[in-house]
Amino acid sequence: MNDTVHLKRLSGVKSNTGVKFLTPAASPGNHCPMHTALASVGRIRGLSSLLIGTPECTTYGRMIIPKATGKNGELHWLYVLESREVVFGCRDGLTAALRKMDAAGAKTILLIATCVPELIGEDVEGILYEIQPEMSARLTYVLTGHFNCNSYSSGYWKTLEALGKLMEKRQVSQRTVNILGRLPKEAHTPMPRLISSLEQRGFPLRYLAPGASLEDFMNAPDARMNLVVSPIGQPLAERMEQKFGIPYISLHNLYEISAIDKAYGDIAGMLHISWEGEFETDRQAALGLQEKAKIKLRGLRYVSTFIGPAMIIPLAAYLADFGMEPVLLHIEEFYPDDKRYAKELTAKGYNPLVCHMVNGASDAAVLEKLSPDLCIGVLPGGRGAFPCIPDMPQVNGRIGYERTSCLLKKILIASDNAKLSASDEVKTSGKGGI
Amino acid sequence: MGLHQFRPLPSGRMGILWTLAPIRDAVLMEFGCMGHMVYAQAFLKRAGVPEACKLYSTHMDETDVSLGGIERISRTVEDIVRRDQPRVIFLLPSSVPEMIGTDLPAVCEELQPQYPNVRLLPFGYGGFDVSLHRGVAEALLLLVKALPADGKRTEKPTFNIIGSCGDMFRFQADAEEILRIMEGALRIKPLCVLTSDTSVKQIEQMGGAHINLVIRREGEPAAKHLKKRFGTPYLVKRPYGVRGTGQWIEEIAQILGMAPNRDFVDRQQKEVKSLIAAAVPILRHFTKEQPTEMCLSLGAHADVVQGILDFGCGELELPKGICWCDCPEMASDLLLYFTEEQWTEAVKTQKKGLLMTSGEALEWAGKSREMQISNPDTKWRINPYEPPLVGFRGAVNLVNIWVNEIFGD
Repeated sequence: MNDTVHLKRLSGVKSNTGVKFLTPAASPGNHCPMHTALASVGRIRGLSSLLIGTPECTTYGRMIIPKATGKNGELHWLYVLESREVVFGCRDGLTAALRKMDAAGAKTILLIATCVPELIGEDVEGILYEIQPEMSARLTYVLTGHFNCNSYSSGYWKTLEALGKLMEKRQVSQRTVNILGRLPKEAHTPMPRLISSLEQRGFPLRYLAPGASLEDFMNAPDARMNLVVSPIGQPLAERMEQKFGIPYISLHNLYEISAIDKAYGDIAGMLHISWEGEFETDRQAALGLQEKAKIKLRGLRYVSTFIGPAMIIPLAAYLADFGMEPVLLHIEEFYPDDKRYAKELTAKGYNPLVCHMVNGASDAAVLEKLSPDLCIGVLPGGRGAFPCIPDMPQVNGRIGYERTSCLLKKILIASDNAKLSASDEVKTSGKGGI
Repeated sequence: MGLHQFRPLPSGRMGILWTLAPIRDAVLMEFGCMGHMVYAQAFLKRAGVPEACKLYSTHMDETDVSLGGIERISRTVEDIVRRDQPRVIFLLPSSVPEMIGTDLPAVCEELQPQYPNVRLLPFGYGGFDVSLHRGVAEALLLLVKALPADGKRTEKPTFNIIGSCGDMFRFQADAEEILRIMEGALRIKPLCVLTSDTSVKQIEQMGGAHINLVIRREGEPAAKHLKKRFGTPYLVKRPYGVRGTGQWIEEIAQILGMAPNRDFVDRQQKEVKSLIAAAVPILRHFTKEQPTEMCLSLGAHADVVQGILDFGCGELELPKGICWCDCPEMASDLLLYFTEEQWTEAVKTQKKGLLMTSGEALEWAGKSREMQISNPDTKWRINPYEPPLVGFRGAVNLVNIWVNEIFGD
């Protein structure tokens, strides 16, 4: 039985819909975008929310934001659809609910529409457009239907992008830089040297991610430029460029040294500074690892599983330069940007199978049958048939030369293990020897 | 249901899922977006429901929604059967398939011949106006309609508990107290504790019991069905208090035609009376002095409210405060159902006194969480060994809570 016959190859995938499950029985499966939208809202000071959905969504939503009132007076209320509203729409009920929240003092409200309101085609945007003039609170919304995707990532980026809709033009400060996708302090992610350097040079930095304040978001259009350090910040950066003309540079998908050189150069140009060789040591280290990789990684066949928020397709496009062959890739979220990277990868001669994995035990068995040399990501349920790189999330949050070095070190170690296990196999099968 | 600040009344689908999830040797497969099952798993872990039934989801995408695709169901069933070889697969639709009208029973009928050794059991009742309690009732009924095998009654008397489910606060401790009392007072053992501590095999054996103890009214349709099929008598009651528990034992003994173990019952009643002896006069003193303020107010499942009310206001003669139930279909002239607006108002008026209700309401009101008798909860409940609310030990526990609450005030 061919366990992968139902999967598409990367060239045939244009959105999340084309990404099929590797094995069908989700256990436990993935959270939905509502989860991450709520998790984001709950951490943005000053932002209220109205969650619209079934008793399931609203009850379980309280696991994420447990209370109706936040620490800073935010309101996190719930709107449960009745059967009549499922048929005839919930315009009247929603309008009344928003008026109540407005009267109760909500300053800015994010409406989170879950599967059923999205499915019935409720015109949330139209409702907000209609009611906004009579309200003090500013309104925005996200659609988080889980049937549009396989995972939860869109809840993050849609929420940040929805805040972009509320932003208004500000006078630009030539020195302020927005950092999209991280906070000043993160427990598991060291501060990238590039950002530290900007801070040391006296550039006012504004970190925009769940954990920032609503005020920070609203002030963001005063920045000279946006630096994107995580995929969740990319759609907001694009919106801000379109709406306010604020240029952005994305760093979360850059691995190749010359591409990083160019990005760093562009940043320096925009800010009218010179790095003065500040990153040369990091750069040389990354270059050295790249040279090693060219020799050691050629021909390695790999699969990928869950790797955290990083995008796998641009990563695979980079690894293709070393002759690493992607056999099968787990796509957590097919981002709009992924189409570009998919073209890049296929142009380099690789067209892997793509899938979404939702059941560690059964997925591992299928991956083992593919006999890859290594696995990028965690493999719960695996029997150790090939080495894995489970700590890929350490790569996330790093940018530039540090990111490339961190990635290559992990892959080079794993490839050494892969070669060791391959030679063990040869010995035990009796085909090796002198 | 409209606008809420607090958790709304759970749906019938949630009631079914929570009822089925503890059953061992079974698989529960939900057709719908998988995020829901991830939450359900998290909820069940917090509620202390062990990972007995394997939980799966099919997920669904835009194509499934727009074209009504059911291929995911057949592929998932095939995969589960191949790997887990369960005896039973419960199939449950989530809200989206309910909306688009997926006919799960028809799908199961079509698939069943391919799996002669696995029972495919579809559950429904997922409409948007169906609440938790009707879902629990539906799940209990369908289980006893589908699974019990033909057979004779057990040689020695046995019993089933019907309605011990994960949605109720302290469900495990309450079931354990009932088992203890049945063992001590009547020396009889359970065949099945439906559903908090049972397996497919134990449900299959339910027809052998001599009596069904229904501990919430949602279990009555199931008990009626078992009576019709096996002739098993049943009693719908939750035992609360000293006198109440004694009467409950007497009623069971009468149904079974047995004499209860008087020694055990007397010893239990004597022990409870002795343990609460110091606290009861204090309760009475405070409540007599301020009867309008220091009264017993309850908001929970209708059967829980009635049981605790009978003990507190009946046996101990505490003044009755505001009482309400958490299910509109269970409301009566004597016990009203309160909406969120109504119960928040009721809680606000209870500045003093003994207010027992959900953990969420108590937390919001800044009241002692010891007074919790119902869900929604806001805490983890992984410890099944907390003291019960029912039975003799429940009576001691309740008085202990009340006297501390009075001194706390």
